[in-house]
Amino acid sequence: MISKSALLKVILLGDGGVGKSSLMNRYVTNKFDSHLFHTIGVEFLNKELDVDGHHATLQIWDTAGQERFRSLRTPFYRGSDCCLLTFSVDDGQSFRNLANWKKEFTYYADVKDPDNFPFVVLGNKLDVPERQVSGEDARQWCRENGGHPYFETSAKDATNVASAFEEAVRRILALDDRADHLIHNNTVDLQRKSHPDPSCC
Amino acid sequence: MAANCVQKVLFELEGVFIHPSSDEDGIEPDLLVSGTLRIVDKEAEVFVEYRPLEEAVDPSNMLCAGKDSSSVMEWDQCSGEKSKSLIETQQSYETEWDMINAVSFKKKTFTNGDGCVNPSQERSRWAFSVSVGELRCVTLKVEGWSFLLLTLKEARSQLPTLHFHQGGSTQFLDSLRRVTLLSPSPEDETCLLVSTPNRALSQSFENLLDDNNFGLVNQKFRKDPYVTTLGGFSKVTNYIFDAFRGTEEQHQRPPEEVADLLSEVIPGLEINQQEEPGFEVITRMDLGPRPEVSRRPPLSAEDWTKHQDPEGRMTSISKLKKLIFKGGLCHAVRKEAWKFLLGYFPWDSTLEQRKVLQRDKTLRDYRSLIEKDVNRTDRTNRFYEGMDNPGLVLLHDILMTYCMYDFDLGESTELLLLGGMSDLLSPILYVMENEVDAFWCFVSFMDQMHQNFEEQMQGMKTQLIQLSTLLRLLDLTFWNYLESQDSGYLYFCFRWLLIRFKRELSFQDVLRLWEVMWTGLPCQNFHLLVCCSILDSEKQKIMEENYGFNEILKHINELSMKLDVEEILQKAEGISQQIQSCKDLPPSISSILGLEPDLCGSDPTHSGASPPLRPRPPLRRPDTRTSTSTSTSNGLLRASSAHNGCTVAFSS
Ligand SMILES: Nc1nc2c(ncn2[C@@H]2O[C@H](COP(=O)(O)OP(=O)(O)OP(=O)(O)O)[C@@H](O)[C@H]2O)c(=O)[nH]1
Ligand SMILES: [Mg+2]
Repeated sequence: MISKSALLKVILLGDGGVGKSSLMNRYVTNKFDSHLFHTIGVEFLNKELDVDGHHATLQIWDTAGQERFRSLRTPFYRGSDCCLLTFSVDDGQSFRNLANWKKEFTYYADVKDPDNFPFVVLGNKLDVPERQVSGEDARQWCRENGGHPYFETSAKDATNVASAFEEAVRRILALDDRADHLIHNNTVDLQRKSHPDPSCC
Repeated sequence: MAANCVQKVLFELEGVFIHPSSDEDGIEPDLLVSGTLRIVDKEAEVFVEYRPLEEAVDPSNMLCAGKDSSSVMEWDQCSGEKSKSLIETQQSYETEWDMINAVSFKKKTFTNGDGCVNPSQERSRWAFSVSVGELRCVTLKVEGWSFLLLTLKEARSQLPTLHFHQGGSTQFLDSLRRVTLLSPSPEDETCLLVSTPNRALSQSFENLLDDNNFGLVNQKFRKDPYVTTLGGFSKVTNYIFDAFRGTEEQHQRPPEEVADLLSEVIPGLEINQQEEPGFEVITRMDLGPRPEVSRRPPLSAEDWTKHQDPEGRMTSISKLKKLIFKGGLCHAVRKEAWKFLLGYFPWDSTLEQRKVLQRDKTLRDYRSLIEKDVNRTDRTNRFYEGMDNPGLVLLHDILMTYCMYDFDLGESTELLLLGGMSDLLSPILYVMENEVDAFWCFVSFMDQMHQNFEEQMQGMKTQLIQLSTLLRLLDLTFWNYLESQDSGYLYFCFRWLLIRFKRELSFQDVLRLWEVMWTGLPCQNFHLLVCCSILDSEKQKIMEENYGFNEILKHINELSMKLDVEEILQKAEGISQQIQSCKDLPPSISSILGLEPDLCGSDPTHSGASPPLRPRPPLRRPDTRTSTSTSTSNGLLRASSAHNGCTVAFSS
């Protein structure tokens, strides 16, 4: 898809309640709701990004993590450019389920080359004091499962949220065969941490 | 790429004959060609192939009506660790299916698009390979032996008749049925129309139907290895997402195929064309104009009390319900009226009886429930931590109590917080301002709704099918459009149906919609007509903008909080009148809406004077759990303060 504005599809997966919707809302609308209802099915929001003078649209797909809704989310995996595997650092089970999520994604998205597919792992709810998953455990898992980048985030106080999504973009663009997302330039400087204009589609 | 082309043989039968003489002039009359018939899954497409026995067929000479089959299916060719997990999941079917080593087939692979008929190649002239998607129909005839005629959609070439002198035609058709839908043609019973279902959707539907296991290996996979092969799957997903990316031509699928698709994936719920010729009728039915109806102002407290006799019995109930249906209730009336509408209070009970009932509920049933030990997981406990909103604590207490009450929902605490159940409770709690009343009203509401939340989601399946049936009747053009975008089974209405529009409307509008629906007027399943009403309003936009699969979902999701409940209800009522005034309604429609021919026009729920008393059912399984503790930490014993008013604020 070569066009002026590349459309990058990023999908958030992880157990119910780990904070996927909160992360998306934080990133796109810069809001946080401490009592969100569980997502039913899938929802998506677009977020415009400027990358080295090129315009990209991030299409963020938020899915229902609860097992009951599996059949409603899996048809939408296909076509993803990056998958954000999310757990909550105060919930050991959600961390142990990462492997299942990755498997489910790889299967239903029908990823051609899973070894090189960009996954980014997010340990959310960093602000919660009682951790069940240490950063070291998480990093180790990422190392052993394909060298995925790992981010500890808090949707609540906005820690690292933008960086995580930006890393997703960076990973997508780093893939050689995706170079055509941006017309001339596939080295992207996304270090800018500032995040001044969240825009909702 | 050719060396990587992986194929799976789904069916193979030797000794299938072609009688060249009967197909073509100028051939030795007695020539019989014997060969092997196969159904082969090539990466993403399924082919029916025939190869004469003696001849080594060069595939480049085959008649290949299919599209590209040169791309690689990664999973199967990988070795070692790379795709280990996937291969593991596939091992079990390798024994079930005769997977022939791809090497024997590799040779030259087809090239994209150009490897078609080459009639000059005599030696392989009887060989063919045709994509199942290219088949129009399969005709089975029996005259001494069975023979099959495969007809292509595009009559660019005729395929030879296949003669099953040694049997096997049934097995062939059975195998073909695994990869496609075969439905008898109305004109000719021996002719089976071939339609290629969208496997992603049917897969997805199947998951909805019978798949509750986490992980990739589950029973369904073992039952039907074919649909789980990645080749098959990639095709479907391609189908959907290519459409999204604009590279796929639009597929128009006739409604009858969809009915088949639905009935195939949802056994027992099928829209049966044979038994209900109504299906055909539906597609052509003219409903006549939709009447304009008007809404009324909500019922005031004064009006409500006018409908009570001195002992507190409600009077002229059907008239009362009609008023509520037409205008809803003023907020002041809700706290009392909802208890009637939901069946917690019998309409003909006296004030005195209701007091007793409420006291009994409070003291006996609810107490016995809440004193059971509530098994909370760590996760749930954490949910309460730092929870500063008393309304939310209350909400979750009630939900948890409910889950003890209704064990059908399973005992997993995740279900307590299952997306949706809190949506259904919060408006009730908000109106009741009281834990015990809210609980019992919620129980009544869940009596109508709990099928939606059961393990199998039976309620959801049923409703989606019913809605699809109604929409076809009301607006076949629109339904066909949706179907052409793979949205004919209306998955995007899932949330509407699961929680009765709770997230689509503002909180106040939800209250209005629900009380109107609870009157049971003007017909059964009125909420489905509410769906039709919303869809009717969005139709133009969706079709004009030519929205595809994803865009339809996005558009519908984004209607949330932008809908006007009065407008929706007005149109929905109009639709109901339009349907009810129709003379020859197909039976499927009448039964969805509960329109018995003789009752048509009258109140379909209860007629007038003596509405049925609906006493609360006894607790379903009050003693199945041993009470290991009566201390329920997080305020479940608040029942004793049941009449405390509680101000509840929800974020919805
Ligand atoms: N303290 C804290 N709470 C969070 C954070 N992110 C989300 N939450 C809370 O965790 C709960 C669940 O968050 P959601 O965003 O709804 O979780 P989800 O992953 O979308 O869940 P599903 O939709 O069921 O798959 C909500 O009450 C959020 O307010 C966070 O970073 N810190
Ligand atoms: Mg969510």
